[in-house]
Amino acid sequence: MELGDSVLDHLRRVAALPDLSGTRYELEGEIGRGGMGIVYAARDRVLNRRVALKVLDLTPAGEAQLIAALEHPAIVPVYEAGTLPDGREFYAMKLIRGARLDHYLAAQPTLAERLRLIWRIGEAVAYAHSHGVIHRDLKPQNVMVGEFGEVYVMDWGVEAIAGTPAFRAPEVLLDQRSDIYALGALLRFLLPKPTPPALAAIADKAMSADPAARYPEVPALLAEIERFEQGMAVEAWPEPLWHRLRRFASRNAVLLWLLAAYTFAKFLIFFLRKF
Amino acid sequence: MDADTAIGGHGDHFPSTQLSLLEATASGLSSDALDRVITIYWKPVYRFIRLKFHKKNEDAKDLTQGFFATALERDFFTRFDPDKASFRTYLRMAVERFAANQYAAANRQKRGGDTEFETVGEQAVPTESPEQVFEREWQRQLFCLALDDLRAHSERCSKQLEFQIFQAYDLAEGERPSYAELASQYGVPETSVTNYLAWARRMMRSFVMERLRGTTAGWRELRDEMRRVWS
Repeated sequence: MELGDSVLDHLRRVAALPDLSGTRYELEGEIGRGGMGIVYAARDRVLNRRVALKVLDLTPAGEAQLIAALEHPAIVPVYEAGTLPDGREFYAMKLIRGARLDHYLAAQPTLAERLRLIWRIGEAVAYAHSHGVIHRDLKPQNVMVGEFGEVYVMDWGVEAIAGTPAFRAPEVLLDQRSDIYALGALLRFLLPKPTPPALAAIADKAMSADPAARYPEVPALLAEIERFEQGMAVEAWPEPLWHRLRRFASRNAVLLWLLAAYTFAKFLIFFLRKF
Repeated sequence: MDADTAIGGHGDHFPSTQLSLLEATASGLSSDALDRVITIYWKPVYRFIRLKFHKKNEDAKDLTQGFFATALERDFFTRFDPDKASFRTYLRMAVERFAANQYAAANRQKRGGDTEFETVGEQAVPTESPEQVFEREWQRQLFCLALDDLRAHSERCSKQLEFQIFQAYDLAEGERPSYAELASQYGVPETSVTNYLAWARRMMRSFVMERLRGTTAGWRELRDEMRRVWS
């Protein structure tokens, strides 16, 4: 049998499509490719709603069960899991309407909004770590910002995959500290230019080549970011004196203004009495 | 450019001499495994050599034969390390080295005056690189073999009608008939056309996977190769 290019391309396309016969879903189209499979938009005919359907390439350990066990506002809820007639495993989950993190940044959000995003991502990762789950492939393409500003971390890995070089920790065996490295890379990715040196130092520490030099856990990283937001010194950055004074002035602006006003008033009274 | 060889097509996927050569060669792989490798890769290797080294049909065939023979003699297939590259990449690079060595050897003989000069084939400039052509031929061969499997399976399961409808729709060159037209032509309900196509595609997919499984080392390589096959 000889196959022309156009027929070959057609066969490659139709062979990749999930066989949804006998399921409650109707295929709408591909919306993305993750580490372990392809995500499609589909319609749930029974509940008449759109869902995201992840169809796994092969049948590795239960990714759906792993995610379903994680109930967190920043982790997409799984509705159903099963096996397609073609033998592939799939799971249906909430279809997120919004923008991928890298696309969301095109709207030039404020620094406070960028830090809110890294906080939400960090909270989800910390929650997963507390349940013994590591992500393994954190990157902007795996984070969605919903239409109400909600943040979702997607594509939780069950198998170490190649990852994206800029976000993947250098160690071969990935663990929780590898996620902290990726969070540091995400923080660096999120920060505007010019980057506040304290935040750059936090990202650098999280991305240390030596896992032991990183933050020991995600809450420690988030606490550093919180310290920055509150105008406090961060542990990752040995602050120069001039910067410390400026930060002190910024944090105590009202007090300093009152002091200045008082001094000025005293001087004025002294001046008036004298003359 | 002279026409490509029919080897690898029309159901004869490689010369029968290859099979006997395989059987006669002592290697760590079973004859079945080598059979699977050569069945899928003979044509891609041949096309790659033709384009990359501008070989005529017969020269490319000889080089392809020579490559597989040498690979078997030198236990090439058993030295494959899946941690370094996919088998497909490993094989293509080996072909490249082999053909380049042959070319250098031929040139040395040429300088000695006892060999004819190699003529560069008058090939049209291809729009794809030899590496792209190699991958495309690999995909084409995989699907050709899977379709052969599907046809045989349909006959075994008395599902010739399903295969005919699949053939009329998915293997149609140019404009495809509508499901309604197919239903009318074959005297079945339109829903059956949908079901028959779904069945045939499902089976074709599984046969492609089976063929791939035979030439990959483990599920990770299989997954990566499947991703290259599905568009």
